Amino acid sequence: MRMELLRGGYAEQTLRLDPRIKMLMVVTVSVILTAGGYGGLMTYIRPALAVLPLLLLLLSKRWAASLLYILCFGLAYFGEYFLLSRTYGVVNFILLASFSLFTRFMPGLMMGYFLVSTTTVSEFMAAMRRMHVTEKIAIPLSVMFRFFPTVREEYSAIGDAMRMRGVVLAGGKPLKMLEYRFVPMMICSLKIGEELSTAALTRGLGAPVKRTNICSIGFRAQDIVLLLLCLASLGVYIQWLFVH
Amino acid sequence: MQKSDKRLNAKDLINIGLFTAIYFVIMFAVACLGYIPIFMPALAALCPLVGGIPFMLLLTKVRKFGAMLIMIVILGIFYLVLGTSPWTLPLGIVTGLIAELIVRAGNYQSAKRAVIAYGVWCIAIFGNFVPTFFMRDAYYERMVSGGYGLEYADAYMSYLPDWIAPILIVACFVFGCLGALLGRAALKKHFIRAGIV
Repeated sequence: MRMELLRGGYAEQTLRLDPRIKMLMVVTVSVILTAGGYGGLMTYIRPALAVLPLLLLLLSKRWAASLLYILCFGLAYFGEYFLLSRTYGVVNFILLASFSLFTRFMPGLMMGYFLVSTTTVSEFMAAMRRMHVTEKIAIPLSVMFRFFPTVREEYSAIGDAMRMRGVVLAGGKPLKMLEYRFVPMMICSLKIGEELSTAALTRGLGAPVKRTNICSIGFRAQDIVLLLLCLASLGVYIQWLFVH
Repeated sequence: MQKSDKRLNAKDLINIGLFTAIYFVIMFAVACLGYIPIFMPALAALCPLVGGIPFMLLLTKVRKFGAMLIMIVILGIFYLVLGTSPWTLPLGIVTGLIAELIVRAGNYQSAKRAVIAYGVWCIAIFGNFVPTFFMRDAYYERMVSGGYGLEYADAYMSYLPDWIAPILIVACFVFGCLGALLGRAALKKHFIRAGIV
């Protein structure tokens, strides 16, 4: 991941999309699927938006992620459909909680994964500059997008190290568990932060001059299509909000 | 201290990004518990408590105006995008600014002020409950029509009656302070001894 952070130019992608469109798609898919409901046109828009990340992932040949998405979302969707009406009480709540966690958040998260895995930091910064976002927000955001996969990696590495030393669930003491898991995590991230800032410094980040960027970003035909799709879905969502 | 040292540089911004990422991952993991209705009020205590360690570490790393504010603004944007509540962002800007002013008054050196500031900062978490209390009917209807079902929506509402709202705000603050103390204890025990801070 650290190599990825330093990589300039373009990411491997078969379908070239403008980073701004990808961000808009993340917002659209996430907001409509988490906060929206059913009824009227929304009944058709929600499944369509849930399929959108899958299509994009398949188009950019992210096979593993696509399969994971199909499995998790499919299972949760069918669970929601068939099991929820047949259970009651606590079981119902727990099932509802776990299923809706998947059907609501997963499309947005997958869209986010598509954004992160097909956009380099350079492209991201170029898009941010075009949208006139201040560096004080743009730099932390670009670091965050690249850092999320690392959090998971480091966390599981710490888990392995703990298990090797025979510390499983910290002996059931929740406070100790916090300490054993968090403290190594913090130290890792401080180190990564130091390496990153040195690397960024050599690339002129934080220099008192305007940085240049070789990434040419701009709207193409496919961007316009997706833009219209997002705007139409958001329009339906806003109309739905007024009805309810 | 020179004037240029007082402004956030690239290194500070990178650190803010890293710790905001950690904070967000922790929040998301804890908040998933909230899907079971009875845990929902407990989030106001759990989130600030667990987030204390990364927050205090960031605060000792970046002793400049803006770190807390940028963090809550980014978190607010994330909550907005995730569709949980759009109110964390405006509330966060207010509490974030107050928190900044509290630490600045102590010239970024006072530990007591940092603890209070994190408590104030945490009140922004209440933003996630705003639709429940102030737009109860609309929120209820949206939950029902949103596919959660009557039974779930009823249970959710019964665990969050109106009188609990002030308690949640106080809980955010108190557990924020406790979380900050926990963070300080962790700092003392591990980071200062290891020479990292």
